[in-house]
Amino acid sequence: MVEHWVEITNRLGLHARAAALLVRTASAYQSAVRLEREDRTASADAKSILSVLMLAASRGTKLLATAEGADEDQAMTALCELFASGFGEKESEPAS
Amino acid sequence: MSRRRNSQGLEECWRGRAVSEGVVVGRVLRVFNGARQVYRATLDERDVERETRRFRAAIRLARRQLLAVKARAEKKLGAEHAYIFDAHLLMLEDRKLLGDVETFIREEHSNAEWAVKVAADRLLAVYDEIKDDYLRERGSDIEDVTQRILVALGGGRPHLRQLTEDAVIVAEDLLPSAVAELDLEHARAIATDAGGWTSHTAIIARSLGIPAIVGLRDLHRRARTGDRIVVDAQQGFVFLHPSQATVEHYKSLTASAAATVHETATEGGRSGPLRTLDGKEITLRANVELPAEYEDVRRFGARGIGLYRSEFLLSHKGTMPSEEEQLKAYEEVAALAGEDGANIRLFDLGGEKFGGATGDAERNPALGLRAIRFSLRQEDVLRTQARAILRASAKGKLDIVLPMISDLTDVRRARRIINDERARLEREGKVIGTVGIGAMIEVPSAVMSADKVAREVDFFSLGTNDLVQYLLAVDRANEEVADWFRSLHPAVLQSIERTLDAARKAFIPALVCGEMAGTPAYAVILIGLGATQLSMAATSIPRVRRVVEGIKFADAQQIARECLECEAADDVEEMVRVRFAELWPHLFPPKSLPAPRVEE
Repeated sequence: MVEHWVEITNRLGLHARAAALLVRTASAYQSAVRLEREDRTASADAKSILSVLMLAASRGTKLLATAEGADEDQAMTALCELFASGFGEKESEPAS
Repeated sequence: MSRRRNSQGLEECWRGRAVSEGVVVGRVLRVFNGARQVYRATLDERDVERETRRFRAAIRLARRQLLAVKARAEKKLGAEHAYIFDAHLLMLEDRKLLGDVETFIREEHSNAEWAVKVAADRLLAVYDEIKDDYLRERGSDIEDVTQRILVALGGGRPHLRQLTEDAVIVAEDLLPSAVAELDLEHARAIATDAGGWTSHTAIIARSLGIPAIVGLRDLHRRARTGDRIVVDAQQGFVFLHPSQATVEHYKSLTASAAATVHETATEGGRSGPLRTLDGKEITLRANVELPAEYEDVRRFGARGIGLYRSEFLLSHKGTMPSEEEQLKAYEEVAALAGEDGANIRLFDLGGEKFGGATGDAERNPALGLRAIRFSLRQEDVLRTQARAILRASAKGKLDIVLPMISDLTDVRRARRIINDERARLEREGKVIGTVGIGAMIEVPSAVMSADKVAREVDFFSLGTNDLVQYLLAVDRANEEVADWFRSLHPAVLQSIERTLDAARKAFIPALVCGEMAGTPAYAVILIGLGATQLSMAATSIPRVRRVVEGIKFADAQQIARECLECEAADDVEEMVRVRFAELWPHLFPPKSLPAPRVEE
């Protein structure tokens, strides 16, 4: 199993579009991928959009990502890249 | 409410809010999208497996439908607004939802419909607890998806697909996906019990040119599929079981309107300015938000784009478009507008669009942090937008409009930031056109100080919708106070006159945009008050053009002067009815004029 801390940097947090991207990315791998809030109030199956949305992860939220399975390293790399890119939104600079 | 007996029953009349213009005589297609009645049935052990298979087949059917809807939405609204359907697709395939439903079917021996409802209700309960406003709203997406599964379980396609030629959609309210699913070749109009001027449904109906009336209270309950119905979205009237006389009246209206559109459309390429009978030149421009409207701009011969509502570039729930995305959109608008140019209005948004980015929900959003106030607070948003517009101006004539300015302070602050970006782009060696900066005059304080504002901007843009709302303190989306929303209120007319006068004295152009400009009777008053440039939905241009060509400016001016002297809105409307009927009976049939207020 591999794990890694990721942070939500895009303005709207894990909203519908970002959540959809995340689920599509996670679903491309065989490994089980989970996300857990830093405050441990919720954890989600990263391949379920309903589950991901329920994390209610807004900007600034830290999540512990875990992947377990044959392609866990690749899955984790892809996931980290997605978070680092702010889900491809260019408007991810901090609020003024 | 008027009642006349006819063969089908009583003619009944509703008054609602017309949110997209047009007149249609057709038949009711009643659409349900509220809570579907779902009942529990207990299955025998041996039927459980078959029920699970039925559920899976329904999911596949729903998925195919959703893919088709998504493709249509992408074509009509652009990819950035279609992504919501991508989220819906993932919800349909969601392991958690599918797993919950199948487990419930198996363990409780429940029918699939009931299992779907139970699973959805549980999910919705969790979403209701979420503190974040934006994410909590995703609950409506779950309802939409659930609805789709239930329809698919019924084996049917959604009701909206079974449209007859003259179908008028009658619903309590329409979900966004239902609107995207309308078969527009056949749907002729929309009439809903709920909804306001700014609802998503209203905006889309408007931009696609289907007449729509909202706020009809109990029409949905009273109407039956197949009933005859007349939708008069010029005046906001709906007639159910119309009498023969009503039908004939409206049929003649729609026939002449169709002829006007046809005639003008075929003359699309005509040149030469539009003038009144006595030679006053009037310029008609187009208001635009959706790519679907672009074709109409050319077709109806608009002289460029008077108002481009840039906030539509934000995706369905508020993701900010990047500089490059905006650049592409503005270049497209510049190309479309041609030499007549386009006015790009900066984002007219409130903080609520940004998923709580600005903190708690505002108690009074119309008076809150919106439009230029929002852009000045979120300076990065303003800078990005300014850069995109300035860069796009290399490709065509573009001007910037500042929405909702209160006085010169807003203008100066915005100008400083825009100039800052202009200088930076120039240092980067980018080519920039001459971009003017205009002020939207829609807040009463801006009207009062219009003479001062006029000295520091390149043009005025009069937004009558918000001006009426702010001046009369009436929420235009609130049906309860619809009687107080009077576009012809003497105070409104005086404010318009004062603003036009300030522009004239400062030698800057003034453009009137808003619903008044696109309504022929009001357009005449605006012209009488001194407006020479009107901007409206492109589909309204043929009607307004026909009227402009048929009147004398001197007459319009005289009537406007008399209206300014009136004591109350009722008096102005009466004046308009009487004087228009005298002077221009051929241009203004009685139903096209403001209806007398009747005590109910």
